[in-house]
Parts: sequence; structure tokens; C-alpha cells
Amino acid sequence: MRRTGSSGPVAVLVGLALLASAPAWAAGLEFYQTVNREEVGSEDTFLLTVVTVDAPADAKVKLPRSDDFEVVNSSRSTQRSVSWSGGGPANIQDVTKYVMVMRANRAGKLTIPPSEMTTAGKTHRTDSVQIDVKPGRLGPPPAQSGRQQRLPDPFASMPSRLPDPFADEPEDEPTIPRGDSDLFLRSSLDRDEIFVGEQVTLSLYIYSRVDLSSVDAVTMPKLEGFWTEEVESPTQLSGEQKVVDGVPYRAYLLRRRALFPVKAGTLSISAAEADITTGFLFAGHRVHRVSNGLKVKVAPLPPGAPQGMSNANVGAWRLSVDVSQTRVELGQPITVKVILEGSGNVKNVNPPKLTGPSALKIYDPTTTDKVAPQRNRVQGRRVVEYLVMPQRTGTFTLPALEFPFFDARARSYEVSRTDPITLTVEPAAGSTALPPTSSAHVADSANEQKNVLTSGGLRPVRYQARFVAPSEPPWKRSFFVPLVLAPLGLLAGAALLGGVRGRMATRTEADKGRQQAKAARKRLVEAEKLQAGADAGAFYTEVEKALHGFLGARLGGPVIGLTREAIGERMTVAGVAQERRARVLYVLEACDLGRYGGGGDAAARQKVMDAAVAAMEGWA
Amino acid sequence: MSGYYSPEEAQDVFLKANEAYAREDYAAAQDGYEKLLSHGHGGADVLYNLGTTHLARGDLGRAVLSLEQAKKQGGRAPDLEANLAVARARQVDKVVGATAEEEFLPRVTAATDGTVVAWTFLGTWVAALLLLLVWRWLKPGRRTGLGIVAALLFTVAVPTGALLAAHAWVDETVHEAVVLSPTLVARELPQPGARSIFEVHAGLKVRLLEETGRFVRIRLPNGLEGWAEREGVAEI
Repeated sequence: MRRTGSSGPVAVLVGLALLASAPAWAAGLEFYQTVNREEVGSEDTFLLTVVTVDAPADAKVKLPRSDDFEVVNSSRSTQRSVSWSGGGPANIQDVTKYVMVMRANRAGKLTIPPSEMTTAGKTHRTDSVQIDVKPGRLGPPPAQSGRQQRLPDPFASMPSRLPDPFADEPEDEPTIPRGDSDLFLRSSLDRDEIFVGEQVTLSLYIYSRVDLSSVDAVTMPKLEGFWTEEVESPTQLSGEQKVVDGVPYRAYLLRRRALFPVKAGTLSISAAEADITTGFLFAGHRVHRVSNGLKVKVAPLPPGAPQGMSNANVGAWRLSVDVSQTRVELGQPITVKVILEGSGNVKNVNPPKLTGPSALKIYDPTTTDKVAPQRNRVQGRRVVEYLVMPQRTGTFTLPALEFPFFDARARSYEVSRTDPITLTVEPAAGSTALPPTSSAHVADSANEQKNVLTSGGLRPVRYQARFVAPSEPPWKRSFFVPLVLAPLGLLAGAALLGGVRGRMATRTEADKGRQQAKAARKRLVEAEKLQAGADAGAFYTEVEKALHGFLGARLGGPVIGLTREAIGERMTVAGVAQERRARVLYVLEACDLGRYGGGGDAAARQKVMDAAVAAMEGWA
Repeated sequence: MSGYYSPEEAQDVFLKANEAYAREDYAAAQDGYEKLLSHGHGGADVLYNLGTTHLARGDLGRAVLSLEQAKKQGGRAPDLEANLAVARARQVDKVVGATAEEEFLPRVTAATDGTVVAWTFLGTWVAALLLLLVWRWLKPGRRTGLGIVAALLFTVAVPTGALLAAHAWVDETVHEAVVLSPTLVARELPQPGARSIFEVHAGLKVRLLEETGRFVRIRLPNGLEGWAEREGVAEI
């Protein structure tokens, strides 16, 4: 019997079932071909199986060829089965399978041409197979992907289930490159979405189906934006069997590195390159291979970071402090180790800085790292060792330390803390044991450790304050300048007032004199009216009064009652001219004579009147 | 004095700030001292403590500023001078070259207390003039003693008046400041893109000569001058 044109996995199963359950047909020739998927991606591989049953020994099978498909790998297997049914003869069946791993070169509905088998001058053909090729990659066939599914985890719903820090991250399935399917270089990451500072592992493999002699040079990709740490770098090629899209390969690990992104965003990893020598001895030749490029999405650390958090502080960490001794003699050093251990970027984390009171001199630390990757995860411990030298006796405290970090698996911030450490510094035992009784002892005691009290450092704050409100300087205050000028003004005012008063007083005396002189002249005019009268005494009296008034005005004081000598003396003092003095005294004497001596005649009166007028005239 | 705090409350805030300083909680100490200053309870003591706190925190610019302000308000003091010396020792800048001689009047005013000078002048001046006024009204025989006292008062008032004038002149014309920015660029012209002449760092004491826009012309103690951004310095 001859079967042709069967296609699809159903047909394979049916064919196998018929082979198994119908030995009567097994004696006939069978020739057919099937594919394991009817729909694939242009980047996917699929299997074409060509089966011959009980083909003659001279049968020649011609597998299908098409420009639309690339044959990545092919294999042939033969099996013979012998079965007995009832009492009949044994039924012998020969089955030969040709398995081809193929890949479409383009998208579309493509046809795999029929296979041909020629035997005894007769050619048998299978049916052609239709296959729908979509652009890109559709993934493994359902049966294959089904095989990769894991069994359900019975403990998945347990609330206390903690993440396994050493769980292997699945690496993505490599793709067989076109053209270099026998030997290619492949870079892969264990994950493609991480946080800043979180580890992602880069692996570089050689996939080969040929014999390798050596790898001469490996150029790792540029890893800009990453802090890198070597995890594995084999010195000898050691392969392991891997099946890629159904094709068996030997996979050789070249490098494995831990990458710690230092910034957020989509970071690119360029292609790695390697020069590889294949074959042995003189049959070998050297090829150059370039790997695929990679991209990784780096998310920033979530908000709410504790104080002192750094992007490098990602992972799982534990902080501890180890002190060599807590009770020391003055001058004896103390070693304080700040230890940070856990998984993460060990060489880039910064443990908190040790601080202490000024009585403890803390020298610059030394840092040692011990990195021990396990299961491709970088972990280890960083030890920062301080030398602390007490400067004074007493009890001092090294404050507690805190190390904040981001646990990427728990997606939360954590803080690892230490306890404060109390150190007791005592006087050195030798310092009091030996009294300085000799010069040698004095010299020895000078070399002993002293309670050092240096003058440096900050002076303490003031414990009392006198509060002062901010104010303008006194000379800028509004009252200051007026107050400065006020006494000057007061002085000037007083001086001005005095001057005015003096001037006013002077003017009054003069006015008074002028008024008195004016009154005297008026009185003289009155006397002139009495000149021709019968009362001579009244005339002389009036003339005398007029002259007395005039003299009083001019001499600055009354002269009534004064003797003529006194009047003459005052006139002398006042600087009155001799002629005027004589005229005044003549008039006064004539008036006395006229009043008491009978009055005289009209000529005598006129003479007295003229003399009085002459005495007054011109006396300003 | 502001009425925001009573004297007892102000003393309480001050003591709490001191306690915070003692337990090295410098942020809380600074907050306490600044509260007192902002509410009118300042003075040399509060400014000294604030400057010391800034110094302990490592803020050199504000430390020197506060300590210089304390010195300006309260005069010299041993602890103030010691902490100022610590601050100067920590400064990045070392001014070298021919140091310009500080002018006479600023030196004289720095050595004297302007407030004391002002009140001394005012008192002696007013008293002397009032005595002169009285002297005029006295009879010649009683004027001698009063004249001697007035002359003595004038002897004090005239030099203190000159000193007061110097204080007023310095106060009006000499403006000293402290660099607050960690790094401050001094440029040739008051423009952001002008050529940089030199850089100064936090804590350096400079003199402000003039101001235009957001630039001030600064002069270093050795006479070096340049234009720097106004917000990078604070006047004492």
C-alpha cells in the first residue's frame, strides 16, 4: 500500500497508529511527509519528517528542495520491527525517517514540494505540504511549549514563601542566525527589566555543530551605563549539549558578567565579537563571529528612599560592626571593622562612615572586598577597617550606624542598623606606677602616653545670651542730629536775645534823652512867652526847669538839686565843651538872680533866653 | 525687642538650641538660633552660637558670616576669635600677593565701638554747650570753675565727634561681605558670559564696591577685583 499526501501531526499519529494496529498493511510500501506545524514565523524553525516504510534497499529518496526554505539541519534514522500474529510467519517492517529542521526565507503561504523516491525504475512522490509563514517569530510549536511548562507549585499560595535569592533566572532561547547556523556567537541576559543598581547577568556563548580548536580573541561589548563584575571566565572550552529549535548544538561559555546599571532608561549592550578556530591541525580554519546586541530596561528606584540612600545600595545587605576591644589603655589603638555583607554590587556599595567624639582620633580606613559569586549572583562582603586612637581618658560612644538599601526582590527599602558601641579609655598602667624620682624616670614618663588636650577644635557655644533687638546705630536715629544741634541753637538764640535786648536798651536811653531834650525845648518856648510878662520869677523858673530837663536828658540823669559846681563837674565828665559849660552855668546863675533879685529888664531876660537857646543848640 | 517671645520664652528657645548642639543635632540647633534672630531676639551671643553651629556642620560661608556679625555687634571675644580662626583655617582660598593696606578709617572704626562713641559724643557735646550757656549768665567771679569743666567736656567731645564722623562714613561707604557659595566666579564684567578672572570659595571675606543688576564688584584683601553674582555673597 502506498500513502501519500498526508500532512500535519494528526496524519502522523494516524499513520503510526495504522502501522502499529494493522500489520496486514505493513507489508506494503509507504512514503509520505509531514510537518510539525502548519503556521510558523519567518524566524521560527519547524520539522519536516519524510517517512518510508518497507522501501526496497535500492530505493533512493530525494528530499524536497525550495528557495523558499532553508535547511538548518537534517538527520536520518532507521528502525526495524518484527511481529508475530497468530501462527503465521513473522512480519518484518523497516521504517526510515528523514527529519529536516527548516526555516522559511520569506513570509506568505508557501509550499514544500513533494519528496521523491525512486525504486525499480519507478518514482514515488509524496504530497506537497502547505505552510503559512507569518513575519517574525511566533515561538515554539504548541507541543514544544507545552513540554516547557512547569508543574504547578503546591507551595505557591503559602503566605510565608520567601523569594529564593539563588534561583536561576531563565535565559532567553537563542535564535539560530541565518548563514552561520553551524557556528554562531550568542549574548543573552537573564532578565530584561531591572532597577537601577540591580544585577543582570550577561552570558556569552558559542553555539557550534563543528569541532572547535580554540577561541583566539574575544571582544566583549561596550557596557556603557553599567558597573560590571566578572562572574565566570573559563580558561578552557567546555561544551554542553543544547538543543536549539530542535537542532543539537554544543554550547561553550566564553564569558559571564554581572552588570549593575548606574542610570535609568533603556540601555543598549553592543555586540560581542570572537575569532574562533575550527577543525584540527592543518584542517582548521579561523572564522570571525559577531553576537547579537541586547537591550535592557532599567527602572529608577521607587520614591520614598530613606536618607543617605545611594543608587548603588541595591540588593540584600546586612551591616555589622566588629570592635577589637571596648576597654583600652590610653595610647592603645582600637580596630573597628564596619562590615557590609550580602548580595549586590559589593565593590560599589559604601558602608556608612564611622564617626566619633573628638577624643577619639579616627584614622582613614582601609577597605577590603571579598566577592564570591554563587549561581551567577554577585555576593560577598566589604570590610572597612578603621584605626581608632583614644586621645583622652574617659568613656566615649561610637554612634549607631545605618545602611539603607533597596531590596529589588521585595521591591521595598530596608535599613540595616548597628548598635552604639561604648569604649572605655583608662590611664595607662605604667604612667602611675613609676614615680618620677630620677631624671631617667622623668624621661620615661615623658615618653608615656598622655591625656592629650589640644588647643584646636571649636570653642563651645555660649550658655547664656543677652538678647538684643536689631537696631540702627545711634547716629542714624531720628533724634540724634537734632539733639546735637539743639545746644548750638540754644546758645545762638541766647546770644541773639542778649544782643537784641542790649540794642533795645540803648535805643531807649537815647529816645529818653531826645524826649527830655524835646520837652526842655518846649518848656523854653513856654518861657519865651513869659519873657514879656510881669512875672519875671515865673520866666526864670521856666527857663531854669527847661535847662535842668535838657541837662538831665543829655547827661544821662537828673540834675535838679545839684549845685552848679556839681553840674559843671558832670558836664566836664561828659566832655561838654568849655564854652557850653560856661553858658549853662551863666544861664543857671542868671535865673537864680532873676528869680530872687527882681527880674531885671527885658534886655536881661532876652540875654538869658538867648544864652539858654545857645546852650541847648547843637548839643546832640 | 520684638514681642514674639517673652524673655523667658526666648531663653528657653536658646537653651533648647544649645542642648541640640550638645547632642550634635546641628539642624535643630541652627533652627532654634535662627528662630530667635528672625523674631528680634538676636545679639552677639546668638550669632556666635549660630556661627559655631554652622562651623560644626561644615557650612563655612554661613559660619564666617554669623561670626563676623557677632563680632560687629559685640566686639572681640576670645571664643569668637578662636572659632573665626578655625573657620579661616578651613577656607579653601589663600589670598597671596601684596596685601593692600587697610585704610586708616576702617581700622580706627573697627577698633572702637560706634555706639559708645556716639553716646559719648552726644553727652559731652550737649553738656559742654549747656555749661557754656550757663556760663554767660554767671557773674565774672563765678565763671572760672564752670569754664574749666566746659573746656574739659569740649576736649572729649571734639575727638569723639571726629570718631563718630568716621564711623558714619565707614558705615555708609564700606560694605564687607562673606562668600556663601561653595564656588563663586569673579568675572571681568557684570555679565554672565564675561571672562572669568578668578574664583573664590565659601568663607572668604571680601569688600563690596558697587552693585549693578545681579552682580556686585568684589575686592579681595589683596586688592584683586571682579564682578560676582550678588546671591553668592552676603553682607556682614
